[in-house]
Amino acid sequence: MPEVFIDGKRYEFEGKPMLLQFILDQGLEVPFFCYHPAMSIPANCRQCMVKVGTPVKDRETGEFEHDENGDRKIRWFPNPQTSCSTPLQDGMVVHTQETSEEVARAQKDNLEFILVNHPLDCPICDQAGECPLQIQTYKYGPEGSRFEVKKVHKPKRVELGPRVTMDAERCINCTRCVRFTEEISETNQLTIVQRGDDNYPQTAAGEEFDDPYSMNTVDICPVGALTSTDFRFKARVWEMNQTPSIDITNGKGCNVDLWTRDNEVLRITPRENDEVNDYWMPDAGREAYKLFNENRADRPSIKLDGDNQSNTSWNNAIETFAEVLDAHEADDILTVGSPHASVEENFAFNKFFNLLGSSNAKFTPDVIPGAGDDFLITDDQAPNTNGCRAINLDEADSNSLQSAVSGAKVVIILSDDLVGREVLSAADLNDSYTISFATNENDTTNVSDLVIPITCIAEHAASYVNVDGRIQRSYPAKETKYTNRRLNLEMSEGRLDRYGTNFDNWVSEENKVDCLPVWQFLNKLAERINLDFSYNHSRDVFADISEQFDMLSDISYERMDEENGVQLPIKQEEVKQA
Amino acid sequence: MAELSFTEEELKEIEQLKAKFPTAKAATLQVLWVAQRKYGHVEPEVQNLVAETLDVPKSHVHGVASFYTQYYKEEKGKFVLDVCTCLSCQLCGGYDILHHLEEKLGIEAGETTDDGMFSIQSVECLGACGYAPMLQVTNGVYVNNLTKEKVDTLIDNLKNGKMPEFESMAMPELEKRNQAASE
Amino acid sequence: MAQDWKSFEPLLIPDIPNLQQIEVYEGNGGYDALKKILNDQNEWSRDNVVNEVKQANIRGRGGAGFNAGLKWSFMPDPDGGPRYLACNGDESEPGTFKDRKIFEFNPHLFIEGALIAAYAMTIDTIYVYIRGEYISWVEKFQKAVDDAYEKGYLGENIMGTDISIDLEVTYGAGAYICGEETSMLESLEGKRGYPRVKPPFPAQKGLWGRPTTINNIETLANVPLVINNGAQWYSDLGAEEHPGPVLYGISGHVNQPGVYEYPTGVPVLELINDVAGGIRGGKDLKALIPGGSSTPVLRADQLEGVTMNSDSLKDAGSMMGTAGMVVMDEDTDMVDVLWRIAHFYHHESCGQCTPCREGTGWLEKVLLKIKNGEGEMKDLDLLLDVGNQMEGRTICALADAAVWPVRHTINRFRDEFEARCKKSTHAVA
Repeated sequence: MPEVFIDGKRYEFEGKPMLLQFILDQGLEVPFFCYHPAMSIPANCRQCMVKVGTPVKDRETGEFEHDENGDRKIRWFPNPQTSCSTPLQDGMVVHTQETSEEVARAQKDNLEFILVNHPLDCPICDQAGECPLQIQTYKYGPEGSRFEVKKVHKPKRVELGPRVTMDAERCINCTRCVRFTEEISETNQLTIVQRGDDNYPQTAAGEEFDDPYSMNTVDICPVGALTSTDFRFKARVWEMNQTPSIDITNGKGCNVDLWTRDNEVLRITPRENDEVNDYWMPDAGREAYKLFNENRADRPSIKLDGDNQSNTSWNNAIETFAEVLDAHEADDILTVGSPHASVEENFAFNKFFNLLGSSNAKFTPDVIPGAGDDFLITDDQAPNTNGCRAINLDEADSNSLQSAVSGAKVVIILSDDLVGREVLSAADLNDSYTISFATNENDTTNVSDLVIPITCIAEHAASYVNVDGRIQRSYPAKETKYTNRRLNLEMSEGRLDRYGTNFDNWVSEENKVDCLPVWQFLNKLAERINLDFSYNHSRDVFADISEQFDMLSDISYERMDEENGVQLPIKQEEVKQA
Repeated sequence: MAELSFTEEELKEIEQLKAKFPTAKAATLQVLWVAQRKYGHVEPEVQNLVAETLDVPKSHVHGVASFYTQYYKEEKGKFVLDVCTCLSCQLCGGYDILHHLEEKLGIEAGETTDDGMFSIQSVECLGACGYAPMLQVTNGVYVNNLTKEKVDTLIDNLKNGKMPEFESMAMPELEKRNQAASE
Repeated sequence: MAQDWKSFEPLLIPDIPNLQQIEVYEGNGGYDALKKILNDQNEWSRDNVVNEVKQANIRGRGGAGFNAGLKWSFMPDPDGGPRYLACNGDESEPGTFKDRKIFEFNPHLFIEGALIAAYAMTIDTIYVYIRGEYISWVEKFQKAVDDAYEKGYLGENIMGTDISIDLEVTYGAGAYICGEETSMLESLEGKRGYPRVKPPFPAQKGLWGRPTTINNIETLANVPLVINNGAQWYSDLGAEEHPGPVLYGISGHVNQPGVYEYPTGVPVLELINDVAGGIRGGKDLKALIPGGSSTPVLRADQLEGVTMNSDSLKDAGSMMGTAGMVVMDEDTDMVDVLWRIAHFYHHESCGQCTPCREGTGWLEKVLLKIKNGEGEMKDLDLLLDVGNQMEGRTICALADAAVWPVRHTINRFRDEFEARCKKSTHAVA
């Protein structure tokens, strides 16, 4: 197998890898800015320079030539080479900054150039703390600057589009953003304009950078030139903690990270998963952070007189729920599951009412034909349509759901704004007693007689099956009134969480929502009505699911974690309009 | 600005330009030239017209227009006087010519006279090093071996609508020989 | 080098009136080389043409001085897809104004050379890229191309053979960088003139990803001379390692500036004094930039015995470049000159890659400071250091071209720079 020697150590390689990617794949480091594994290689930042040589071969025999010590003769490239654009060759010898003064010096020289026209505004820059330029300057850069003349001035605080703000002075012209719109989103909305040290990225005059994927350029910008207009100046990176999760705004299930501070989700960024979304996600998915913070169903609420809802205690909610169940036959109760809720929520919900004698819950897919693209935006507006199918819920279109509702005396809805998305009308629910399990207040909760507030994806561990049949799961990112970051080992802790106390002014209770996971509420309800139903954790719910359904039999949270989600043997069905 | 468009004739010319290359994009520079000849500049609206005509991204045309210095990204004077001040012209008094023009027209390099007649620019080497100092009129004719007097005459002529003619700068050696032969 | 160089009869631009007219060109043996090849394609197989040109050792006249025939031999075997010859008429290096003479006075010699090159490399499309400022010459050259089409030297079935070659004339819009060969390809593709990362080299992936050879205009104009007279005859012209006729562009402080054609290897001082009529106003020679602004400046005392060919100039500490000679007299302020050169490279850096984008501006700004009498001694070492950090670290050679003049002008005129820095208030304080 062909071999390469990097900093004196031998590695074998297959195919035709590029040197930088190969180095990164070995867990080694060479600094770089413009290179991105998903895009073309412009080699324009010149930061990843290394020293490269190839063994000298005898022209006639094709054998390696050796020097007097018996070592292979190496022909060194006269100049350092950018490792991103250097294809590996058999016998190649490479020295990175770790073993070559010359390389370390070349990288330092290059950073000095990059910083020549870069403003010294890290203290007010959103990128600080997660800035490749800042990090690599600390590690590889010069200690001071010898640049004592005037820096170039360029446009600042430019709203490139509705979601991205540009500071052209911070730009180092890596062209990642331009290449993203050319090669990934294919909208071609950005170009580099001007020439030389006046260069910066820009849209055509009068055009907005409204690419539905525009905010990915914020993620890949290696400096603070492109920032999220929405997130600007909201938080320092080191104040937040980062929790892996899934995008719930459509059916693709883009892998994401939720960034929280004081139990408020402040931003959502994509998490790499080659099987689903590579490094990207649609802008729409990032807006979902508001759903987790605002307009939450907080404490149970109940309709007492006329249409007026008011908050009530959990005890009263449980009591009311139990009385309603007690007063009706199983046949009079309609249960409606949800493609917007997780597999575990749907299963626990369905099982509970199955135990009471109800038939399987219905559910209605949330699909807008034509809303999707060929990339990461799907027609399916819900994250778990296939999950509902996988546990055999009863798929119903709008009409059949309407007729089912009209024949029921009690309608129990799991986390789905059926009125808001016009599957049902408010009038459809007039004649029945309606109970909603809900994360957020919406048109459906407004007309419900009893609202049970439940945890959202940012507050629980649960799994979702995307349009392609991949099952992936979330982790709790923000505390509820009843969870505790320090006791729940699945929750991550940021600096403020770890070192803060309840007496610090950055810690508050107000962002903790008074809600319960569906299964925990159902535990309490089961206890009240003496039903044999009890789950301590969504993990237990899932264990039951995998026991019951062949397709999920060898799936577990551990496997989903290790494999970054698991593909289920689901046929890629046309997702039908409900 | 009113809705911009190319005439049938211009569109025909553009088709011919496109035919030179395997892609429409390749004609970007040439069609920007067609547009600049028509409108006198390639302001954003003109750039967008070029993009639409060629069916290439507007951002692409914008990037190209801003890269090349001969495209006027904003309206210029009727006559743009590009005075070469680079190396050989610098040595032979290019800056004197530039300053003379600035004084004469009452504007600085980069500016346009109030009457919209003249713009002056200090430009890089125009490839007329042997005929320094020199200038180019509105991306067209070169005026060589400038003196202040020659500049004055040029300005007068331009004011009267008289463009300078192309000066053939012969190979001096050959000229010498020809002269010797005719004597 | 023969001593009789002064009696050399010009070959690239011979002394024939109206040679740009196709009938006149034909009447003086024009297109004979092409006919010779096309009429006997066994004798003049494509490989034989490449070999003949390789043996003649035409060194590229665009500045790099690479053997043109050798470059042709890098083209891969034809695979049925398009292949291109891109002719570089973007001459923009300060001090260079020679190719326009070919467009104006002997365009058909170049067209004939380009046709032979296309034949030799099995190419059916030639692009001629001319700098946008040369619009007057673009028009003149286009006329010659139209005539050649009309006479059947270009287009379908050239001169009744089954060979078809098209030639398209196009032009830029103001960017020195487009004279860099891969940047010119980008510009030909209608884009910003950003040089490409090599490898892949244009012979593998050039225009629209297809095999492409790039030659300078003057280089190709030499090709018919080789075919007509043989490689041996050609390589006997001028300097041994760098043979052939050259268009010397002489400018600056000389009495008779202009473009002169002589063989390579002419003594530099004789070119200045005898050909170009000596220094204006009877002044002394101070310095010479021998081949365009990027080639290192030589002091007058370094010019003794130096001839215009790459080896001699290399020994003297400079390069042949484009043979665009810029002559400076004793009153020349080298700080001003160097600042202006640095300004040029700063203005023309495309900005694609870091060391050049940031370095060229830094160099210019420090030089401006020195020029304005605000320099400090440490600035001189800083300039040299910045230059060292740029050289060899970029995608194309523009950074190198920007660095060499800085390094060599400071080193060769250090006193003058130091004196200017000493005048500065900083130095006194």
